[in-house]
Amino acid sequence: MAGCKRKQLTVILLLLMLTATFPTLSRADDAGLITTIGASHKFNKKLSAGVEAEFRSRNTFRTADRVSLGGDVSYKLLPWLKASAGYVLLIDNNREKITYQDDGVSYNNWRPSYWGVRHRFNVSLTGSYKVRRVELSLRERWQYTYRPSKMIDNFDFDEGEWEDHEVKGKGKNLLRSRLQAEWDIPKCKFDPFANVEFYTTDVLEKTRFSVGVNHSLKKKHEFKLYYRYQLSGKSSDEPDNHILGLGYTYKF
Amino acid sequence: MKQLLRYSLMLTALALTMASCVKDDTDLDDVIAQYQVEPVSIELDFSDLSEVPDVPVTDENDSAYNDYVENSPWNKVISITFDGGQAIVDGSVPGVLVQHSGAHVIVSNFSGPVKFIVSGTTTDGSLKFYGDKRFQLLLNGVDITNPHGAAINSQSGKSMYVVLADDTQNSLCDGPTYTMVDEEDQKAALFSEGQIIFSGNGRLDVTAVGRGGIRSDDYIRLRPGVKIHVNSSALDGLRANDGIIIDGGVINIETTGAGAKGVRSGGPMTVNGGRLVAISDGDTRVETVEAVLDTATCAALYCDTLLTVNAGIIRLKATGDGGKGINAKRDVTINGGSVEAVASGTRKVKKPRGVKIEGNFAISGGYFYSYSRRSDPMEVTGTTRIAPGYKTYDIQPKLITIAY
Repeated sequence: MAGCKRKQLTVILLLLMLTATFPTLSRADDAGLITTIGASHKFNKKLSAGVEAEFRSRNTFRTADRVSLGGDVSYKLLPWLKASAGYVLLIDNNREKITYQDDGVSYNNWRPSYWGVRHRFNVSLTGSYKVRRVELSLRERWQYTYRPSKMIDNFDFDEGEWEDHEVKGKGKNLLRSRLQAEWDIPKCKFDPFANVEFYTTDVLEKTRFSVGVNHSLKKKHEFKLYYRYQLSGKSSDEPDNHILGLGYTYKF
Repeated sequence: MKQLLRYSLMLTALALTMASCVKDDTDLDDVIAQYQVEPVSIELDFSDLSEVPDVPVTDENDSAYNDYVENSPWNKVISITFDGGQAIVDGSVPGVLVQHSGAHVIVSNFSGPVKFIVSGTTTDGSLKFYGDKRFQLLLNGVDITNPHGAAINSQSGKSMYVVLADDTQNSLCDGPTYTMVDEEDQKAALFSEGQIIFSGNGRLDVTAVGRGGIRSDDYIRLRPGVKIHVNSSALDGLRANDGIIIDGGVINIETTGAGAKGVRSGGPMTVNGGRLVAISDGDTRVETVEAVLDTATCAALYCDTLLTVNAGIIRLKATGDGGKGINAKRDVTINGGSVEAVASGTRKVKKPRGVKIEGNFAISGGYFYSYSRRSDPMEVTGTTRIAPGYKTYDIQPKLITIAY
């Protein structure tokens, strides 16, 4: 028990230290928060379902980035293989976009940040394998996100006036591959985990590295605390991101 | 301990969530304000202008000597009075033949300086001059509309002194289609092959629906006291092939034709006084000439060669697509006076520009203002020389102001 406490404190202190370094991060990087609150229900040994609300921030925790609400259903096909499907309604605070004239200095267009809706569907297959107290899992998720068209404001510096700009609707298919290891420490309600996840279209869009702990209380309450480093691909205009994740799930 | 940790985590999440209410957009309010700045208002202005006395040149060696009507003897006088469908001619001068058909009058002048006093009204008349002698045309309250061509057409290559009799109102209007005569030009409602020198203290309104407003294939001089208003819905408002000299007067020009210029000078243009307001509302003219796409933008003031402003007020506005306040093909020099140019048009075909100069720009005095709503306010291909001593030198994304 004493060993568990030491490990708990080590993991938590490590996460807090990582968080404390956020303000000193590279200028090109950003830092944000992901908080989730959810509920899940196990209908039987194979079938379960859950709902989850999420809030994300960026700009070193100062700016709301996303609010979402989703649900999923999971079914254990085999003791080591789980299938799941889900839907998430995403309400994003899209970052501003500035374009410049050929001289690279004079402004051309400015589209301020705006809130927009997206719909996301996913299906996943997760295979897991236990090596002693460590459970290794690989999740492959196909994700389709549809963004409806939306009229937004755009300032055209050439015209010297605000104009309506249509962000056209579009869909995007993406494959997410996550490899995870989770430790089951004896007589300890804190389960450390680490994972790496790749987002792939025709190129690698981003990579996430996460390390954290899950904490269960009376099997009904589950808390999650993690640190995540998100590396954006070359095709993305998003900065690399340091993320503090906090989650709570009520199980019934 | 565990509870404390849970609550701490929840409170941290709540605090960070609540704190996330700041926008991360770049603060461009001040920049946008500069791009949204409204230009000075430029409208036609018929108000009286206090001008320095117009002192005729008396030195015969001065190149401007012959431009002063006062320097010629005008003892030979013929009066032409329009009265509806007829013209009444009073007086005769040897060597001068006056013919008329209805209210269409043709004068052949081979006598020397002759003064023609013109008055009356006709809605289907005209006045045409032939000859190789300079002459004076005293507009003494006349209103001529020619549905088939120019209202006044001088085929003489000599000076036509258009004197606007004091306090008179004179109007000229052309027709939508011109009936042409072989080997003769008629390029405007008031056209002359020779110089046109305007003087007097009356007012002349020219309405052009078929071609230009006032045009000379030589040069045009405007003297203090004249009040001229040209409204052209077809071609250029005031145009001269060999130059324009504005010594004074209140001149208002408005054009709406595609590609039309308010004022167009093929030769050097010099402004020494007066107030010129030119507003061009037309869009860029696009046409195919010999299978080649050709475009011509509008301009309130277009100058093929040198433009020099020594004094006076020049206010220019182009509102059409690609329109220019000033479009100068060569150097522009401002030594004094006030020049304001505004381009507020769209840029679908061509870029509008407050001032476009394909030569050099130099300013050493006066006031200069250029504004473009949808592009840089000023474009100078050559060098720009701004003499020291200015009080204001302000460059913003949409406007430039220089004041001495």
